Formats: sequence, C-alpha cells, structure tokens
Amino acid sequence: MEKTAIAVGDSTRLEIIFSTKKYRNKVPKSPKIQTNEGGTDKMVRISTTVTERPDSTYPVINTPYKLDMSQFTGKQVIEKRLKIANVSDEDLDITLVAFAHEYFVVSLPESVGAGETVEGEVVLRDDVLEKSFEKSFTFELSDENHSRFTIPVKRTVRNVGAGTRAAGDKGK
Amino acid sequence: MAVVLTLLVILAVGSAQAAPRLLIKESSFDFGFAPQNSKVSHIFWLYSTGDDTLKILKVKPG
Repeated sequence: MEKTAIAVGDSTRLEIIFSTKKYRNKVPKSPKIQTNEGGTDKMVRISTTVTERPDSTYPVINTPYKLDMSQFTGKQVIEKRLKIANVSDEDLDITLVAFAHEYFVVSLPESVGAGETVEGEVVLRDDVLEKSFEKSFTFELSDENHSRFTIPVKRTVRNVGAGTRAAGDKGK
Repeated sequence: MAVVLTLLVILAVGSAQAAPRLLIKESSFDFGFAPQNSKVSHIFWLYSTGDDTLKILKVKPG
C-alpha cells in the first residue's frame, strides 16, 4: 500500500498478492481492511482456480503458462512471448483484463480462431529492468463461461548494470 | 444559556458528520485459471469519500 492515511477525496492502491502454492481448484480469499471508519471491517474478494495441469486447460492452453523474465547474465531479457492455443471448436475473443502496467506492457491478439494458436508478448518497462518482481496479467475469453487466465510474470535480476536497454538487443 | 446550548448542538452535529469513509468501487476480482506454485497479484483502489482523513489501520489476509 502506498499510504495508510488518505485525505478526503484522495485514493490509494492496495495490492493483494496470492500465492497459489499447492492449492487446488477454486480458492476464494477475502482480505479484510480495518480502518478508522468504525463498524465492521470492509473486505475485498479474490477468486482463483488453481490448476495442477496448466498445460491442459480449456478452452485455451497457454505456453508457457508462466513467464520467467529473470536475468542472471549481461544478456538482457526484456520481452517474452507466449502462445495461446484455442483447443475448443469456437472462435474466441481475447480481452486483457488487468496487468501490472508499471512493470510491463502486454500485447495480445484480439481473437484466436477455433483450433488456432496465436502469440502474445510481454515487454518490460525501462525503469524496472534492474528490479526483481513477481506480478501477473489476466485475460478473459468470450466463451460461455467468460473464462479467465492469469499468467504469472516473474523477474529476478542478479547482475549489475542490467538497467540499460540497448537498441536491437532484446533477449528472448 | 440558549446560545451555549445552540453552540453545543452545532458542535455535536459537526463532529458527528466529520467521519471517514472508505469506498471500494471494484471490491472483487477473479483471476480465473492460475498455475500452482506461483504468485498472482491485483490492485484494488481505495477511495476516501468521507469528511475526515481515512486511516488504514490493518489489512488482514483472508
């Protein structure tokens, strides 16, 4: 959280991080927020369908199902691609629902045809190249269930001077 | 006496109205499918819509 005292009319962000660990299936969580408002605590709700077999999800399979953008050598890792394979028999629209915009930009195709595979891309922002972080992005499909998929994005940086982006030197 | 009483009433009403208030416009989020042994995160926005400074005292994991 950026600040714990919020002036009248102001706002702040509350980041909820959920570690999926060895959970299985649908996992609801309701963190509670205690304030000087009085009364009962307010809560936010998150829900995650933790899958043991992310390589066999439906209606799409994402490869890789999580992105490791770590950098341990001088070779820069700035972007990563992922494949979204539609294993259903209907064309699906893809909508990016949420992403850590302060850390990276996500580009996804607008749709994926039945039985087809498309590619998306995650590109790190310049000012996070020296940072280690664990974030994620979420997209939603246009199937009957409005299925959502969240792709974890992890970056660990262990070398010094990784923060300069050289033109045409994008690692994959 | 009447003036003092009026002043007290005004002060009482004033202090009763000056209250902090928390508004969470989007209070739920569905991650959908996510793999095991990973961390996923989402940002919620907290708005201070009362008449007094809102203080976040504690966030308890659900």
